[in-house]
Amino acid sequence: MRTHECRPLALLVVLSISILTGPAHAQDAGALRRELEALRRQFATVTESYEKRLRALGDRLQQLEGRAAPAVPSPVPSAPPPTTPMTATATATATAPAADAPTLADLARPRQPFALAQPGRVLLFDIGVSGDFVTDFTSPTRERRHDGTFAGRENRLFPREVELEFFGRVDPYASAVVRISAGEEPTRGASSSRELSVRLDEANATLLTLPLGTTARFGLMRPRFGTLNTVHQDDLPQVDRPNVLARFFGEEELDGERGIEAFWILPFSTYHELSVGVFDGDNETAFGRGSLRDPLLIGRWRTFFELQELGGLQLDVSAATGSTADDHRNTVIGVGAKYKWIGAGSGFPVLTLAAEGLGGFRGVDTDSGGAAHVERWGAYAYAQYDVNRRWAAGLRGDWTELPVERGREWALSPYVQFKPSEFLRFRLQYKHTEGRGAVERSAEELFLQGSFILGAHPTERF
Amino acid sequence: MRTVGRPLLCALTALALIATTLAAPIGAPAQSRLRVLATLPDLWAITRAIVGNLGEVQVATRPGQNPHDLEIRPSQFVLVRRAEILVRNGLDEDAWIDPIIESSGNPRLLRGAPSVVEAARGLTVLKIRTGPIDRSMGDVHPSGNPHFTLDPGTLPVVTANIVAGLARLHPDLAEQLDANRRAFLDEVAAATRRWSDALAPHRGAPLVSYHDSWPYFYQAFGLEELGVIEDRPGVPPSPQHLVALIRQMRARRAKVVLVESWYPSDTATAVARAAGARVLVLPQSPGAVKGTDTYIAHLDFLVTSLARALME
Repeated sequence: MRTHECRPLALLVVLSISILTGPAHAQDAGALRRELEALRRQFATVTESYEKRLRALGDRLQQLEGRAAPAVPSPVPSAPPPTTPMTATATATATAPAADAPTLADLARPRQPFALAQPGRVLLFDIGVSGDFVTDFTSPTRERRHDGTFAGRENRLFPREVELEFFGRVDPYASAVVRISAGEEPTRGASSSRELSVRLDEANATLLTLPLGTTARFGLMRPRFGTLNTVHQDDLPQVDRPNVLARFFGEEELDGERGIEAFWILPFSTYHELSVGVFDGDNETAFGRGSLRDPLLIGRWRTFFELQELGGLQLDVSAATGSTADDHRNTVIGVGAKYKWIGAGSGFPVLTLAAEGLGGFRGVDTDSGGAAHVERWGAYAYAQYDVNRRWAAGLRGDWTELPVERGREWALSPYVQFKPSEFLRFRLQYKHTEGRGAVERSAEELFLQGSFILGAHPTERF
Repeated sequence: MRTVGRPLLCALTALALIATTLAAPIGAPAQSRLRVLATLPDLWAITRAIVGNLGEVQVATRPGQNPHDLEIRPSQFVLVRRAEILVRNGLDEDAWIDPIIESSGNPRLLRGAPSVVEAARGLTVLKIRTGPIDRSMGDVHPSGNPHFTLDPGTLPVVTANIVAGLARLHPDLAEQLDANRRAFLDEVAAATRRWSDALAPHRGAPLVSYHDSWPYFYQAFGLEELGVIEDRPGVPPSPQHLVALIRQMRARRAKVVLVESWYPSDTATAVARAAGARVLVLPQSPGAVKGTDTYIAHLDFLVTSLARALME
């Protein structure tokens, strides 16, 4: 179409030239005729050239309109050269989908799951890693019988707990924490195992904006019970958990319970915290029923008295009641006290005195097939003196009955602690244990512990 | 169950008796309209000057207590539970307040809420770390040095932030708060002239400190930071660093090593002795020394002590 529109233009030009060259006829008609002929040829050439260019443009337009999607150049990763020759057609076919679908090279390329501290980017939660490694040196007899404090792991350096923790705010109304840990499981009475097991220790959200000053959390958690039960392995004041807690709740501790817990700071001038929780009951030693139809109920009342330059005193009373794995009622009560005096000025020395007692009241099966009620008690007390930021020493005493079987034990554990920094700690602890009844033994153990924290970690508590 | 109930009941009764004897119900003073909690003693002193008799201002830490490695005490939960406004540093020197707030049942003080004042907002912050930051550098403050109140020149901004925060919740008090602020700033301006005069003969004096607490103070009074003993915060210094520092102190004839009162002075004493300087133990926060519980009294004490030490 455009080609035809150009012809009148060419004729017009020729006509104009003819008019302009009119006076030349009088001079030399022959010469003018030749000149006119030359001009015609030139115009024919120009016209042909125009037509060619217009035709090419038309063809290109048709090609572009005919395509379904625009051919956007996409960054293709540099792939290794092909080992077999490819024809031109094969190359076109292979490269065409690269714009839409990932190639093999794309899929094989390692990807970064998320960005940490890249310029202009912020990770919206905290990540912390803690490692806790322990060695339990003891006699060959204890090792053979697997009845040391760290059963099945005697005379070895083992990772008690390596923990990965994520915590932060979910939204304006809630915060959350997720803790995943790996460690060697205890193998009391069995052959030692060096397998690491990974488990989800904690995954819960805390609702922060509930009415009446209520704070509640739901999910998988370490419930508020007692004084030391709420403390993570790597934050314990000594290498091992006190005997009474280990006996009453097993090495798994009263941890990883699934349920809901609410707590309140009561409106008094001194600190009173009341907490109530409803859980499945998954602790094999104490509350193994594991069903909300017969839930584990836990309550704790904690108070604190600020004694200014004389220090601070914390008291707590806890109770937990639920069903054992063999469907008997079990109630455990706990009473704890912790006193701490901190020196003026640099904050050192620090003197800590703490004690906690537990009482267990549970039904058990008898040999005659009936049921009986047993009442068991246990306690620990310790004193720790922090000389300065780096060095501390302490002594813990344990006495406990076994929660079901007949037997009791006492232990004495002096220890020394060295902290090069806030994030690195070493402990050396000696433990002498005397057991009677079902735990008849006399054990000497030497613990070495090394712990580290990488990244974010929650602030230390009283 | 009878066996279970008896000891539990006894324990609960005993605790209840102790608690009710020592506890008194919270009674917010009737005339107190503002219930403010400051995380640190310096912010407490400044906020108190602004609030005056319009309310009560509490502080979450004891004067003279090291806020860098603070241990959470249950009594702090009560302070947070009672407060309606929180004044915080804003540069993470008091990040320990966040877990307390999250467990105190007072969501009004959660970070980002209108009741929370970030004192550092709008300030020119010194020593903001650039490049990668990790724990090999110690317990660093990634947001910059948080000890800004030691420069009286920061107070116009800090007090403006506080007044804006308080007035946001109590618009009816805005005028009085602003009047208090202006009166306080006038006092500080007059005192600053006095402090500048006292330190004028020592302008450019090279100083060494144990912790990196003083860059704003140095900037305010024209002093020179020659070095810091604790080159990685929270980690004891290496012998190599100390040797280099002592050499530098000798070359520049540094006279004084400042030690914050919450840090041990043994290393600083050894460094000072080796370099022919003297140790000056100074409180980092108001109230740590008797009679210094106002901002001006605190700065008076710091300036006077330092001027005297530099004179000797």
